Amino acid sequence: MFWNKRIQKIRHEKKNGNELFQKNEDLSLESLKAMISNMDDGESIEHSISRNRKITIVYIKTLIDLERLNESIIQPVKNCSEEMIHTCLSSEKIVAVTTLDNAQKLMMQGHVLIYDDKGHLWAVPLENPLARSVEESQSETILYGPKDSFTEQIDQNITLLRRRLPLTELKTEKFSAGYLTKTKVVMLYVEGIANPDIVDIARKKISKINFDMIIEQSNLAAFMEDHIHSVFPQFQQTDRPDQCAYSLGLGKIVILVANTPFALIAPITFFHLFQSPEDYIHRWIVASFLRSLRYVSYMVSILLIPLYVALTTHHYHIIPLQILFVLLESRSKLPFSPFWEGLLMLFVLEIIKEASLRMPNKTSTTLGTIAGIVIGQAAVEAGFVSKILIVLVGVAAVASFLVPNYLLSKTNTLIQFAYLILASFLGIPGIVLGLIHMLAHLNGLTSLKQPYFSPIAPLYWRDWMDFFFRAPIPWMKKRPKQADALFKWRYNRGDG
Amino acid sequence: MRSPIFTVLLIGCICFLTGFSPFSDQNTVEEIAPVTFLAVKQGEEKGSLTVATLVPPIMNEEKQFFSTKVRLLEQGRRQFNFKYYREIRFGQLRMLFIDEQIAKTGIVNLMDTLLTDPEVSPRLFLIVFKGDFEAYTKNQMQKQKDLDYYLYRMFKHYEKENQGEIAVTNIHEFMEKTHTPYSDPYMPVFNVDKNCFSYEGTGFFSNGKLKGQTDKEQDQFFLLLSKSKFLKNVIIEPLDLSLGEVHAIVKKQVNLKDHTVVLKIQYRGRIDEYRGSKDLNSQADFYELTDEIKDYLEEGTVSLLKTFQELGVDPLEIGRQTLTPVSKSMSAEDWLTFWKSAKIKVDCSIELEPLTI
Repeated sequence: MFWNKRIQKIRHEKKNGNELFQKNEDLSLESLKAMISNMDDGESIEHSISRNRKITIVYIKTLIDLERLNESIIQPVKNCSEEMIHTCLSSEKIVAVTTLDNAQKLMMQGHVLIYDDKGHLWAVPLENPLARSVEESQSETILYGPKDSFTEQIDQNITLLRRRLPLTELKTEKFSAGYLTKTKVVMLYVEGIANPDIVDIARKKISKINFDMIIEQSNLAAFMEDHIHSVFPQFQQTDRPDQCAYSLGLGKIVILVANTPFALIAPITFFHLFQSPEDYIHRWIVASFLRSLRYVSYMVSILLIPLYVALTTHHYHIIPLQILFVLLESRSKLPFSPFWEGLLMLFVLEIIKEASLRMPNKTSTTLGTIAGIVIGQAAVEAGFVSKILIVLVGVAAVASFLVPNYLLSKTNTLIQFAYLILASFLGIPGIVLGLIHMLAHLNGLTSLKQPYFSPIAPLYWRDWMDFFFRAPIPWMKKRPKQADALFKWRYNRGDG
Repeated sequence: MRSPIFTVLLIGCICFLTGFSPFSDQNTVEEIAPVTFLAVKQGEEKGSLTVATLVPPIMNEEKQFFSTKVRLLEQGRRQFNFKYYREIRFGQLRMLFIDEQIAKTGIVNLMDTLLTDPEVSPRLFLIVFKGDFEAYTKNQMQKQKDLDYYLYRMFKHYEKENQGEIAVTNIHEFMEKTHTPYSDPYMPVFNVDKNCFSYEGTGFFSNGKLKGQTDKEQDQFFLLLSKSKFLKNVIIEPLDLSLGEVHAIVKKQVNLKDHTVVLKIQYRGRIDEYRGSKDLNSQADFYELTDEIKDYLEEGTVSLLKTFQELGVDPLEIGRQTLTPVSKSMSAEDWLTFWKSAKIKVDCSIELEPLTI
């Protein structure tokens, strides 16, 4: 009742999103001007040219390169004596526009519209690139290896990939996603290696997207994932062109999204999320050790605190005697049970992690000091948490940073909470149940309809070469079975 | 409807299969007092027990020594709980010190009580003590904060590393040997007084009762012939000699027709220390010494086996040699009768490693 009085009800029209923004009017100067009405950055300039003719130039000044406007369009057109004005322009990409809808689309993509008094309309591309230079990856840094990373410019990103794979078989299929954002999406694959069925699945999934906005790659992934309720990412997101090129070569698909420096790689497995480009730079023994360390760290990061709760609540029998005495002393004055103590610390840790991400670099140093000294030490001294838990939380937090995939490392906290509850009620059997559930869930996931938990289930022995351990690269004779590549041999058989 | 019922059933199964129970033990570490040992002594009245333990401290408090007179072991735990603000738990019980008097009257029922307690680990070390353990603990706990822990580490060391210095045994081994024919359990025997806790030898049991023990000299032979078959040092006082890193390969034979038990033992070791009159650089003297060592080892082994015969125990499991693949096995009683009167023949050989480096 209250709302009815104050807010006028909006009647939502049951229209298709594309219909809502479609222009059905005829192409005329008035309709062009109406298009930029109420737009501060929309401009229309009239110019008299030879033979007493008049032209009108319509554009959005924030989208075009204003410096080039005068020399590329205004000056050539002013002195133009030809019947058809576009012949005086040097640009080769001039488009003759016949519908208002098309005119609007091109103008919003950074084209300048030239309308002459005979009712012809041309669109000349004069987009302001607003590009940043290719810089080092901030999210996936490696010490020895290529330093370039993707930018927000999709064409530049394609160039970076084409330089690494100079093949005509590297196909780039363009899509537009989001009827408001009209985001350019490019799917890349190597024809002859990538499985056409998987390419087709990806193609259909992108084409089917009928949503208003696709701002960045995660939005797109959300529409393409087979299991949207899972906490595990089913697409690998990376800003490293070397990793994308390597994946393309193995028969996978890379999807680039305009205005974002991250690409999507699919199909992937759960274990791909633990792989880093550095694995292929180190000696194979070192790389294998580092990779297995990551798996161990992942398990440590999700199980350490729940194990502490399980042991201190249910299974004091199996704690080594000397540690038990330390635990007894450490926990004797605490007001919280192990479960609440663990939960409290996990919450605090997550708050610190989130805060340090959102803070500017200089402030995050102060935050680190406050978190480390004030919260850690003071919490123990004040008797909120035990010393041992602080150590375990520290170890679990550091261990979680070893997982190279940011999205996966962010799922840790949720899994930890679930295990914490199970450990508190059922002890170690509870944790085991949780692990069984997680394994069953992972086993059920797919990435572009390919098994997510391979090479364990289904058992692809071939893929174990690059799994827990990274075998010497010359031994990896075949492409991974998981990507189901058309051409499995990596060695050029013709050369013997 | 099917899905919620299925979910409830699944959760129910999970809870019950994992031992979830509304009457489950509350084991939060700060609320319990996990004791590491129990010392059981004969009470003043017949059939009564005196049970003692040390309760681990939390915070800055002293370790507390509890002792109570009871008739049942479980009664002891209850009595402790009445005296203390934390619940006494046996989940970390690692040692059971048994008074010699109780050991002589039989300890199987005590062992059964502990074995049926699901909290108590089967790796519970068993020790026989002679003397006043209470006085020792009370006196020593002032000087050594973690007295019980260090005692546990000592037994663990001798068990795990197989050092061959003390014949350590746990409750599982003890009960297994008790209920196995041709096998008798043993335990280390310690002498305790106010200031000292010293190893005395190995005590031998039959039918759960302590029958006797070895002295320190005989104990060396027992350790060499039993499980570890290794001793770091064999001290031979009559020869002023110490043998180091002694290994034994033992072959046992039972000849039912000749009523004989034959032990062929191959010793290997080195001379660690010699303070006798012989010149070890002289080959003749060295051979003479080797023969003397061999005689000593033979005599010692025979003496040990005779002690076993007198006690009516077979901790070396010699009786197993009577088993054949086809014929009916001898009963445990028949074997014991045979063993007590059997002739013993011991044939030793010793290989001494060169002294030069």
